[in-house]
Amino acid sequence: MKQWFIDLPGPMVVKVILAVVVALVALVALFFFYDWIGNTLLDTGGTVG
Amino acid sequence: MDDGVAASEQDAATPAPGVVTRVVRIVGWTAIVSGLLILGFVAQQLFVTTWFAEQHQDALSEEAEEHFATTEVSEVEYTPPVTQDTIEDGAAVVPPESDGPEDDGTPDRSGPRTLLVETAPALGDAFAVVRIPSIERLQDGWTVVEGVRVRDLKNGAGHMPTTPLPGLPGNSVISGHRTTYGAPFHEVDTLEVGDIIEVDTAIGTHIYEVRELQIVRPTDVWVTDPREGSWLTLTTCHPKFSSRRRLVVFAELVDGPNYEAIYA
Repeated sequence: MKQWFIDLPGPMVVKVILAVVVALVALVALFFFYDWIGNTLLDTGGTVG
Repeated sequence: MDDGVAASEQDAATPAPGVVTRVVRIVGWTAIVSGLLILGFVAQQLFVTTWFAEQHQDALSEEAEEHFATTEVSEVEYTPPVTQDTIEDGAAVVPPESDGPEDDGTPDRSGPRTLLVETAPALGDAFAVVRIPSIERLQDGWTVVEGVRVRDLKNGAGHMPTTPLPGLPGNSVISGHRTTYGAPFHEVDTLEVGDIIEVDTAIGTHIYEVRELQIVRPTDVWVTDPREGSWLTLTTCHPKFSSRRRLVVFAELVDGPNYEAIYA
């Protein structure tokens, strides 16, 4: 993880901004994945048909 | 000298410490990341979705109030269908020229009555509030939106658009989440025959009484079939934390603005 951060391009400020953006995108993607799994397996909303 | 030989034999028998450390580290990190992902999933499903649903409910509750105040309610002529039951008890064979109930005490169940109807809500619009006094979570009511699409059910309970609106003749079907998105129907399995379900609409408050609970397959669409009289059918996932089956609650109208017109 540390190496991944060091390998990011640009000065330190740019590295931090890039890291935050990547983390946010990953979190949003994870949220949608969780939502899909939940709606498919855990609770579809109780509809029939 | 003997000690030196034993130590070198032990070194030869055990794998290099670097490999073991690496394997333990990989296994450890995999376990930690997997645990965090699972924990995140549980937190997202139980708390985040519920938080979103509660925010939506606040807005939808206001939308429903506005719907009650602005929706046009009209009167339509309603003639109940003639069924074998009504033929057998003689109600359907009252001559047209007779004065009905005053003649022989038999209520006239064949003639047209006046039914209150509201204009159909658009998909996604809040138009009703379902309240179940015997379930704490639903004592204050849960807003119902038109439609049972995934996004509709994330906001509130959803009314199946192919079925009549609550309070009208037939079988009105409302679906809701059991464990996520506010879990409005989390405790419907505790309902018993005779319990009351109230539904507020623009027409007024319709009172239903639970007649039956059933566990069915998700493909059992017969639960949405039209029924004689006026019925409310609630559907939700079963068991909790699984979408393997559906828990279905059948309730029949026992009071409300259209009760007399449908059952008199």
